Amino acid sequence: MNRIEVKNLRFSYRHGEEVLKEINLTFNGESTVIIGQNGAGKTTFVKLLKGLLKPTEGEIFIKGRNTREVTVAKLAKEVGMVFQNPNDQIFKSKVIDEVMFGPLNIGQGMEEAKGNSLKALKLLELSDKVDENPYDLSLSERKLITIASILAMDTDIVIFDEPTISQDYFGKIKIKKIIKELAEKSKLVITITHDMDFVAEISERVIVLNQGEIILEGSAEDVFSKSDILKSAYLEQPGITQLCKRLGYDRTFLTLEEFLDYRLAKN
Amino acid sequence: MTKTLSLYVERNTFIHRIDPINKVLYACVVVAITFILPYELVGALLILVSILVLLAGKVFRKVIPLIEFSFIIMLSIVIIQGLFHPGNRIPVFHIARITFYKEGLLYAFNLSMRVVNILLAFAILVLTTKPSELIEALVKKGLSPRFGYVLSSALQIIPEMISTVDSIMDAQRSRGLETEGNIAVRIRAFFPLIGPVVMSSLIETRERAMALEVRAFNSKEKKTFLSERLAIRSDMVIRVSLFVMLVLSIILKVLL
Amino acid sequence: MKKIIVENLKYRYPLSEDLALKGISFEVEEGEFIGIVGRNLAGKSTLCQALVGLVPHFYKGAYSGKVEVSGMSVLNSNISELSRKIGIVFQNPFTQITGAKLTVYEEVTFGLENMGIERKEMVKRIEYVLHLLDLEKYKDRNPFELSGGQMQRLAIASIIAMKPGIIVLDEPTSQLDPQGAEEVFKAVQSLSREGITIIMVEHKVEKIAQYTDRVMLMSDGGIVDLSTPQKIFSKDDLLDYGVQAPVFTRLCKSLNIKNKDTGLYPATLGEAYELMVKYEQNRS
Repeated sequence: MNRIEVKNLRFSYRHGEEVLKEINLTFNGESTVIIGQNGAGKTTFVKLLKGLLKPTEGEIFIKGRNTREVTVAKLAKEVGMVFQNPNDQIFKSKVIDEVMFGPLNIGQGMEEAKGNSLKALKLLELSDKVDENPYDLSLSERKLITIASILAMDTDIVIFDEPTISQDYFGKIKIKKIIKELAEKSKLVITITHDMDFVAEISERVIVLNQGEIILEGSAEDVFSKSDILKSAYLEQPGITQLCKRLGYDRTFLTLEEFLDYRLAKN
Repeated sequence: MTKTLSLYVERNTFIHRIDPINKVLYACVVVAITFILPYELVGALLILVSILVLLAGKVFRKVIPLIEFSFIIMLSIVIIQGLFHPGNRIPVFHIARITFYKEGLLYAFNLSMRVVNILLAFAILVLTTKPSELIEALVKKGLSPRFGYVLSSALQIIPEMISTVDSIMDAQRSRGLETEGNIAVRIRAFFPLIGPVVMSSLIETRERAMALEVRAFNSKEKKTFLSERLAIRSDMVIRVSLFVMLVLSIILKVLL
Repeated sequence: MKKIIVENLKYRYPLSEDLALKGISFEVEEGEFIGIVGRNLAGKSTLCQALVGLVPHFYKGAYSGKVEVSGMSVLNSNISELSRKIGIVFQNPFTQITGAKLTVYEEVTFGLENMGIERKEMVKRIEYVLHLLDLEKYKDRNPFELSGGQMQRLAIASIIAMKPGIIVLDEPTSQLDPQGAEEVFKAVQSLSREGITIIMVEHKVEKIAQYTDRVMLMSDGGIVDLSTPQKIFSKDDLLDYGVQAPVFTRLCKSLNIKNKDTGLYPATLGEAYELMVKYEQNRS
């Protein structure tokens, strides 16, 4: 059984304006990144995966269950999603209470929820902020708290919607580490992002959405080699990819490390 | 389409072009006259005038739902006054064993006409005046520009804030919060929903306040305005006529 | 003329125990384009707000030192007076829309009406900035219907219409998609060509390297260094300050490919390309 199955998906908010057009996809274990311009349908797509929206046509199965037949709250046990704006969800006056909210809702006991929450906060290096008021912290720290809130729910599938916005170098390192660790624990991670360098470093599979359709799909190397198609979707290749292409290399290099390893091997 | 909290109907009529202040004055004068001369004839005349103005403004059709709604209010006034008005003496008709009296019904009728008059007069203002133009007219006349800003921005920002409630609901439902079900479930969902609404509104308001500050919002300079409303001759004529009507009614009241 | 003079600026937010700015000093010449980089909470936003007077006039708090902008003392002027000399664009495109105006055209006039600018002059300025920021085709649209990139360009236009000689941009592209971000960078380039002094905080170091004359590295409420992009990004301890050099710099560093004249590593794609080509030629 595939973890996520998307069959003949079509979606419109309003009659006549199709936002997603005939999407067919399966997801299993690969860390996947979805990229595309604002308005391409990325957020709509993950909302459909979460059951927040129901397909206009077609079906979505999360671990065999049709999203049309399950409530969002019930699906929350399987799929966790970190939303873009932390201010849209934080309401408790202590960080630890905030992080425990999700786990308690989906049925974890007090002890279990607390344990998972502290573990998640430790992963995000926020253990020293456990009793603080989330609104006394900076925006980027609040973003990390919302990530902890979802990790503590220990769902099989985790979706990140623009996790690196407003993060500095250290924040991005933390997030990269978490995504890699989740993948190691065989969780399915789906990330929406605009940060092309970030994409190159965390993804095994890249899906490019443009105007509601999948225009490219495959490994990061496959996708980023097609600069013309990317351009039509107003996307850019990572900096190193561009430089190497200009220097005349045929191969598509995604990261600095990759390029350096290649040169070392050649010499 | 962006939502604004406004009942304004876009049309290109003479009524639309009248100075917004005059329309405010009209509503005030109409209300005043219904109190100064509480006679059925006067009430009916004013209603007729307002209807004609609404027709001239091509917005009469929009008023009908409003009138229908006020019928309910008027019906309750008629029933209460018809039955229980002190000074009820002359019975007019019966339903079963309940008696409706003349004095009460007459009083109710007068009251209802006043309600309709007020509604129609304000409808003229609301349906044919762009809120931004009205507020700007008031600011030009001396209303605090800061208060004027609060009014005009509220019309657009409140609908925008309401739409963030959807995002908040999505986020909390995704964390397992049940929002559908019996009353106990809904009550439990209240704080996780209201908390972020309040906090994000406060944060946004503060960010906006800073943006306004750097756009010289608190400048002590005399404000200028991009839009010039060129006064038309009828502005003065209308204003004088309204004043004359008011004075006439006071005189009539004294004489009668 | 020195457009900005900052001398030993110290500042503490109310209810805070630590100083957010711990003795900042620097100067900016007219027409310069300065980039500011540093980890989150280094004091970059606080510095931006101190240049326009939000610190201390909006936030209150404890303040000492001198900030002079186009000859005006920030401490002794109010924010409205300062807005004639220096403007600021923030991260969130949405909260910079006043909400009081129904069209893009009118939105730009908000600041001008507050300043008491005469009507004819208002129209001239609006047309100029709408053209400069490529917003003419949206002039009758409702501001809330614009995309993120368009909203930010509108915010920039509204500030530039007030004709400050200096504009500060605090992470203007953080919340935008790549197309929106590109629109903003192009817009800022146009401003720079018009001779406007620009201070920009950004995390996208490749862009900072591409556009700026000098880069300020901030950390822990202070300035670590203020110098050319090449110099700053060539620093060995850059990562300690939470800043990763542009990938081009890191590449050349790993291969030890320096600019022979400056002894520094390149910071932009173009520079890196040229040096790499020369390097390969020399090797073969």
